[in-house]
Amino acid sequence: MAEKDISIIHPRPSSIVAALYTLRDLNVDVAILHGPPGCSFKHARLLEEDGIHVVTTALDENGFVFGGREELSTLLCKVNEMFNPKLIGVVGTCASMIIGEELSEPVQDANLDVPVIGVEVHAGYPNNTKGVLIALESACDAGVIDDEELERQKVLLEEATNVEKRHGAASKEYLVPSRGDLKYKVAEKVINYLKEGKKCLTIMNAKKETGYMFADITVAINEVAEQLGVSDNVINMANVDDTLGLPRVRHHATSIMNDFREKGIEIHEIIGGMDEYPITGEKVSELIAEKYNDFDFAVITGVPHAIPMDNLQNMDVISVTNGPRQVYPLKDMGHSNVIVEIDLHPKTLGVSNIVESEFGATMRELTKDMQDAEEA
Amino acid sequence: MEQKRIAIYGKGGIGKSSTASNVAAACADEGYKVMIIGCDPKSDSSITLLGGKRIQTILDLLRQKIDVKEEDIVHEGYKGVKCVEVGGPEPGIGCAGRGIIVAIQRLRKVCKSIDDMDLIIYDVPGDIVCGGFVAPIRKGLVNEAYILTSGEYMPLYAANNICKGLAKIDTPLSGIICNSRSVTREEEIVKKFSEEIGSKLMAFIPKEQIVQDCERDGFSVLEKAPDSSVAGVYRELAHAIMSNDSSVLPSSLEDERLRELTR
Ligand SMILES: Nc1ncnc2c1ncn2[C@@H]1O[C@H](COP(=O)(O)OP(=O)(O)OP(=O)(O)O)[C@@H](O)[C@H]1O
Ligand code: SF4
Ligand SMILES: [Mg+2]
Repeated sequence: MAEKDISIIHPRPSSIVAALYTLRDLNVDVAILHGPPGCSFKHARLLEEDGIHVVTTALDENGFVFGGREELSTLLCKVNEMFNPKLIGVVGTCASMIIGEELSEPVQDANLDVPVIGVEVHAGYPNNTKGVLIALESACDAGVIDDEELERQKVLLEEATNVEKRHGAASKEYLVPSRGDLKYKVAEKVINYLKEGKKCLTIMNAKKETGYMFADITVAINEVAEQLGVSDNVINMANVDDTLGLPRVRHHATSIMNDFREKGIEIHEIIGGMDEYPITGEKVSELIAEKYNDFDFAVITGVPHAIPMDNLQNMDVISVTNGPRQVYPLKDMGHSNVIVEIDLHPKTLGVSNIVESEFGATMRELTKDMQDAEEA
Repeated sequence: MEQKRIAIYGKGGIGKSSTASNVAAACADEGYKVMIIGCDPKSDSSITLLGGKRIQTILDLLRQKIDVKEEDIVHEGYKGVKCVEVGGPEPGIGCAGRGIIVAIQRLRKVCKSIDDMDLIIYDVPGDIVCGGFVAPIRKGLVNEAYILTSGEYMPLYAANNICKGLAKIDTPLSGIICNSRSVTREEEIVKKFSEEIGSKLMAFIPKEQIVQDCERDGFSVLEKAPDSSVAGVYRELAHAIMSNDSSVLPSSLEDERLRELTR
């Protein structure tokens, strides 16, 4: 296990960004960043792709000195008129929090009929899950979620933090990014395994909306198996329980399940909700011990480092991640191949259907080529 | 002569602003070109040089997004002393420290006459609560620091802490000024303290009602009561400051020693 107090020096998303995504999952229509213009710009843009409005009070030097109470209350009124929101989130930043800005006062000043979740967060927390936690606590205070959901989320967050410390982005002081193994080579290997009649476990353990693309890998493997006439050799696990999590997260699970069904793909084992990726590991381990001990290889997608290796020792493990810094930690865990779906996240925002992955596309093409060659 | 840029530190309320303005007036009397820059959000440094009038602060104007010019923020007071107030947010709001940094940056940009001054006095608030309040020193604007104290334990305790702070940021101390609160053996105590930290006592200013009377009417002692004995003391202090050319990186005393000294 990693040291508790290592100081991580590679760039990571901040708690502010984590709070923004959490507000998105709570289905706010508008998120206001109370701070300098440009703060968290890249993620703000991505969230706009996902259909929520992100605006900023654009505090300048004057704002830093005199505070931005008026700027914030004016902006609250403005967005209320512009977007007619049903739920608004206000997110603090380093600048506004360091000068001690109160988020509740401007909300009172604006006096809107719309509920507002004020999240007093800055980017100075070593674990960015702190941003999620503060956002959820604020949502609970605002009556948007109940205590039960808050408690459930707290457990998940703690586990998510532990997963990152154990084998993830917080496991080492510095992690080198990598593009992972060649998709072509790994696709060939998977197809050959299937051809040889090897038994395959697909484990999709995706974080929320990223599932829209990781699901495609499950789909592609099943399609290839079908074409090779070995469908029965594939067992699918996925965290697509749509009765768990925040509203938006449940919706993703429903959408993905619908697509699986439409494509005739059976999910044999539902291993949890789409926000449960940090805690599915144990369940997967138990299932393997009980029923799938004799399988030859596993393809794990999403957050592969959350699945313990204990019961996977006898299998060839191939994993697919969207984090370039996750490659070396996964190899260290004993995965024989690690593939990176570069830029996966932006492609899974604002969608409600499975989107094609590069690895899936590669497998499909390669199978076609192989069959064409055999026929010729 | 080389330009003197001084700051007077000391416990809150000990008399920094009134000493600063009286010294400024005394130097102006001698024909020196003097500027006083109030770095306290209270904006009370230059008021007795301006006949009790308050001036627009730099931050007042910046707040209104006015493209400030020298004449907007530099106001001539008693005998041509140039008065500047940084200003700041209301207590409890925003960040006064950041305000000082921003305002001084602006002042240096728009104020041409700053280079012609013989003496610039930065009047800072007593309690240095964050980086902004030491910005004048940290950014190399101040080249001599003075500490004002009485012979009481708490002001000396504060003075001692300031010595630690100055040493930490490598800023030499040019002297200790005693502003009396009529404690027994006061001059002796402060003199001893000055020597033990490696510095020297510059002046002993008695506690006189007239200082407060002049202040209430909006004047320095030098202007309103030039013949009073305390006016003479300020003159001597002004002279001592203008001719002072030695400074030391101060050491500091153990708390036990401080108590002993004031016992
Ligand atoms: N020598 C003196 N005799 C009598 N009264 C004095 C003397 N020196 C200062 N005072 C009075 O003490 C009060 C506080 O002084 P002043 O405002 O200059 O303190 P300060 O150190 O600048 O305070 P702050 O830390 O709040 O800026 C004033 O009313 C002032 O007139
Ligand atoms: S330092 Fe903090 S407030 Fe400033 S841009 Fe970065 S995250 Fe935003
Ligand atoms: Mg003062």
